[in-house]
Amino acid sequence: MLLREVDYVRPSTVEEAVALLSGHEGARALAGGQTIVNVMKSRAAAPDVLVDLADLEELSTIGFSSDGLLEIGAMVTCAQLVNSSEVDVARPILAEVAATIADVQVRNRGTVGGNVCVNDPTNHLPPLLVALGATFTIRGQESERTVPADEFFLGVYLTAVGEGELLTKVSVPPSNDAGDGFAGVTIGKHGTYIVDAAATVSDDGVRIALGCVAAAPVRATGMEERLAGSDFSENSVKAAAEGLGATLDPPSDVHGSAHYRRHLAEVSAVRAVLQAAGRRKGA
Amino acid sequence: MTTSPSNSLLQSTGSTAVETEKPVVLEKGYVGQSIPRREDKRLVQGQGTFFDDVRRHGMGYVHFVRSPYAHARILSIDVSKALELEGVYGTITGDEVAIHTDPFFEMSVEPGGLIKDYALAVGKVRHMGEPVAAVCAATRELARDAAELIEVEYDPLPVLVDAEEALKDEVVLHDDAGSNVVWSGVFDWGDVDEALSEADHVVKIERLHFHRFSSTPLECAGALVEYDRGTGEWTLTCNHQMPGVGAIWMAPALRTGIDKLRFVTHDIGGGFGNKICLHPQYVVLCLMARKLGRPVQWTEWRTDQHTANAHGNERTFLDIEVGVRSDGTMTGFKVRAIDDCGAFPRYEPLGCIIWAQVTPGLYGWRNIRVDFTQVCTNKSPVSPNRGYSRMQHLWLTERIIDIVASQLGFDPVEIRKRNYVKAEQMPYETPNGCVYDSGDYAAALDIALDLIDHGSIEERREEAAARGKLLGFGIGSTLDSGTNNFGQSTLLNPDLQFSGNNEAAAVKLDIFGEVVVTLGTVPQGQGHETTAAQVVADILGCPPEQVNVRRGHDTWFNTHAGFSGTYASQFAFTGLGAVKGATELLRDEMVKLAAFVLQAPEEAIELADGMARIKDGPEEAALPFMALGAIVNANNAFLPPDFNPTLNHRYVCRPYFGMVDKEKKTGQLTLTYATQIHAAVVEIDPETGEVEIVDYAAVDDCGVRINPQIVEGQVHGATAHAIGAALSENFVYDEEGTLLTANFYDYHVPHAMDMPPLKTGAMESPSPVAPLGAKGMGEGGGGGIHCLCAAIQDALRAAGKAIVYDSCNPPHRVWSMLQDPEATRANVEVTSK
Amino acid sequence: MATPARSRAISLEINGEQIEMEVPARRLLVHFIRDDLGLTGTHVGCDTGNCGACTVQLDGEPVKSCMMLAVQADGARIATVEGLAPDGDLTALQRAFNEHHALQCGYCTPGMLMSASALLARNPHPTEEEVRYALQGNICRCTGYVNIVEAVVAAGGGGA
Repeated sequence: MLLREVDYVRPSTVEEAVALLSGHEGARALAGGQTIVNVMKSRAAAPDVLVDLADLEELSTIGFSSDGLLEIGAMVTCAQLVNSSEVDVARPILAEVAATIADVQVRNRGTVGGNVCVNDPTNHLPPLLVALGATFTIRGQESERTVPADEFFLGVYLTAVGEGELLTKVSVPPSNDAGDGFAGVTIGKHGTYIVDAAATVSDDGVRIALGCVAAAPVRATGMEERLAGSDFSENSVKAAAEGLGATLDPPSDVHGSAHYRRHLAEVSAVRAVLQAAGRRKGA
Repeated sequence: MTTSPSNSLLQSTGSTAVETEKPVVLEKGYVGQSIPRREDKRLVQGQGTFFDDVRRHGMGYVHFVRSPYAHARILSIDVSKALELEGVYGTITGDEVAIHTDPFFEMSVEPGGLIKDYALAVGKVRHMGEPVAAVCAATRELARDAAELIEVEYDPLPVLVDAEEALKDEVVLHDDAGSNVVWSGVFDWGDVDEALSEADHVVKIERLHFHRFSSTPLECAGALVEYDRGTGEWTLTCNHQMPGVGAIWMAPALRTGIDKLRFVTHDIGGGFGNKICLHPQYVVLCLMARKLGRPVQWTEWRTDQHTANAHGNERTFLDIEVGVRSDGTMTGFKVRAIDDCGAFPRYEPLGCIIWAQVTPGLYGWRNIRVDFTQVCTNKSPVSPNRGYSRMQHLWLTERIIDIVASQLGFDPVEIRKRNYVKAEQMPYETPNGCVYDSGDYAAALDIALDLIDHGSIEERREEAAARGKLLGFGIGSTLDSGTNNFGQSTLLNPDLQFSGNNEAAAVKLDIFGEVVVTLGTVPQGQGHETTAAQVVADILGCPPEQVNVRRGHDTWFNTHAGFSGTYASQFAFTGLGAVKGATELLRDEMVKLAAFVLQAPEEAIELADGMARIKDGPEEAALPFMALGAIVNANNAFLPPDFNPTLNHRYVCRPYFGMVDKEKKTGQLTLTYATQIHAAVVEIDPETGEVEIVDYAAVDDCGVRINPQIVEGQVHGATAHAIGAALSENFVYDEEGTLLTANFYDYHVPHAMDMPPLKTGAMESPSPVAPLGAKGMGEGGGGGIHCLCAAIQDALRAAGKAIVYDSCNPPHRVWSMLQDPEATRANVEVTSK
Repeated sequence: MATPARSRAISLEINGEQIEMEVPARRLLVHFIRDDLGLTGTHVGCDTGNCGACTVQLDGEPVKSCMMLAVQADGARIATVEGLAPDGDLTALQRAFNEHHALQCGYCTPGMLMSASALLARNPHPTEEEVRYALQGNICRCTGYVNIVEAVVAAGGGGA
């Protein structure tokens, strides 16, 4: 509840932020703080320097790239996602899912960048962005690079963003004719997920990503392959899900055993796919 | 005086009608109206005073160093680095506590009575989170920093987290006791062996488990403690909800007198029983205040409340056998109960007895045997929690009737009505001598069934099935026994010098005629200021706004008695009984004084509209309260020498109880029994085990309702607690004794979106024994837990017929019951003639 | 370029008043409000940001002040429960809480009021579902939320 001593700085440009993150050992980016402040309260971790990104306006915008990608600044809050007309037009599942993250207060502060960079296995956005095939732009002192979702999430609290680097935006392809779905089981309404699954069904096929079952979101590639050419009837999707659980090694904890989570993964994947298929344009 | 004693109670010769005075139910004035609360004005403006809001010049903040092990020897504690930190005022460790204090008094007989319980761990830690040392510093943050610098060396010991394992005494927590057993006893009434042998069916249930949870009041515990060197007095500005008991523990430990401990409470952010056992931390604060010569303050953190404050009773019921006749009448039952009280028993030995207030539940069976053992484990200590000990036992009786119904093919409504104690039988003496004062369980059940449209259940079940959901309906009947006889503690320990109950109040007419009330109770949201004002207003014939009820409790200024506090569902009886008694004394004196001044006979005087006047007399023949107050306080020369009114009266409400028979373990353990009948309709998602409550009704009968809106609020709150406990709230430990649900992420309590549509109904069966006909009712008896277990079991009938065996059924457990219902059914065996 | 520092001089508006103070970087906003500014209406109920007793409005939006550092509020406009009725003239929402018995111990109430008043400011006539959604981040252990939801709906002119 009470933090250790920490140094704080609030840069006014992204360059300054990156320089500060690179230049100080033990420096961490402070976005909305909905995770890091809690972590610091419990003293589970204690950064030496907090680099507050609040003044970096260029990270707070939602817009479109020249080739039609929905670009979401890393400092965009969940509340902004929920209220964004751009998101509503281009990829509404993002707003739909963000609207179920915790509560109003958390959504007013919690950011997209924070949610993905923390990569807590129970966070909503990582599996969703993997299913959507998002890309992540990372700025370093020397360069900028873009990493696809399948390579961004590496482990618990571990992403492709390295020391001294900053995630600046997340780019999401517009849905066009794709349908998206998200399903799972939470601890109480809008609570933490026990298992969740995100799915996208489009002309390019199916992408399914599972959360809470491993250190990073897991692509259910076997099930995706089995759904090739599927009519997406309930029986067909359930049949494709069989065996998914056996490929997973989820944790056991007070909310469920590994066995239960394997089962929930199959159920959630089915529900997410059915929802996505049902929303596909022309379905 | 409250009730006149009945000779039949004194003799406890068996079930006879109890004679009592007719209840004095006041004419409908303010009592019975849903008057909005006066407490709200300050609270909605953020002007409440909770203890952490209070500051003292030069105060220090305290942080406790707590054990990371569930069971370990303390090898060494080194505070030197902490003391070097600038801004640190001092530290205290268990060694100092063992020198400066005596162990807390233990309630139980041996072996539990031999336990040595100090304010900090001495030599050994026995649960994760147990305080080992404390440090005080200039700011909260510095105290926390300093705590990290205190080095404690431990030698871990094997950990016990299972009560049945603890019974083996292979690993013993308290060497002084030599056993993990705190207390054991057999309660045997009627002839249960005969009842089982003559029954047409015997239903055996191998194991049922009532889980650990608590009410988790939003405001955590804490205190600001000051020590006066000159007088040796401590002042604790705190949120202890039962200061009498707190002082009884603390004073001898601190080797001081009760009057040297002044407890001051203002507003308290919820108690629910979880703020009764705060004495260990408070003693540490007292020692530090004295040692450091400055006020010291400690605020508990949420994680600490979950790991190291108070859990509700965890009870395992084994080898249950129930006798049932072919018509569904239950003849009796026997059970072996194992109560897990965590690392230190403290208040909890009373839990070994308190369930006996509701021995037969709502049912008429006469033959009951309970073999009860309480045992220590390396978990957080247990203390009273909303529904304390009765809730667990009532859950047992409700599980029994539902399991009997399901095994023998009876309808859950019909079998309950067949077995319920009937309204005509009230007052009803139970097999162990308690008297259920009033109630009509069948009528309350009918109201609940009506509210959830019971007639349409089967239709709704089909409709839900078409959507792939399993629908279930369940009933939870429960009693909220209130105003307890502390003499039941002698059933636990014959040497305890406790019996009866009491509560005090004082009412005066101030110099300008203001009516001022001080209560002996310690409210934490129950609206005592408002309801007390309603009662006073009716007696004195003035509007409630003219009655000033002092907020909170102060043992220096508030009149109080040994059992003062707010707990155990008794305010409406003892608290308001004391207010009524004091106000009547004041009224009588006001009438006498007015009669003298107005030169009229006393019978001609009435109190109305804030005046004392001659009934139907001329307008001038009236004295405002101000005049009466002024006469006695400032203008009294003309009063005759033999008439000395004070207009300031203290009254102690002492409920009368029959004697307790220690040998037979019978007696009148509580005076009032409020009824709550809950009914729920749930839908289960068979693929995930998630339970959704789609309809819910709670019917309450607490006799006369002083303020119906406040009563209903208590019903809502108790229902929310029960729903949380039934579906998610659970204090779960791993084998190392780590609490896995130490915060609100993992210990999920109902939020606004988790609550189902809640319908409430009410009945009033006035209590013949309570001063206002009003029964205590705040706890609620866990009705929601009973009915949700029943509803889940009913829903699962269509998918394997699992038997619900645990009081907490989160999705993973429900799913397991769907996967392997046979395992749960193997728990139950029916033998029929 | 800015340099990291242990403390920061912050300037913010709280309940309409301008405040300037040097605060340690590690100080939580809720402790700044309660301990440094003496505004004790905002409460602490947990240590993991779940309970919402610490809810205040930051630039008009409800946030949990235990999950923010005071230094993050530099330049912001903060409203706490004390600012709802500065002259003791209770708002319609506060009166509705009283009329509908929406509080018992009163500990969660300031947070509830800050979340509810923010809701009513942007959605003056919320439905019951909308109220529950807006209050999802505020835990109450006394009332079961029944009367709280009723009070907010009533303050919005809805309900019976």
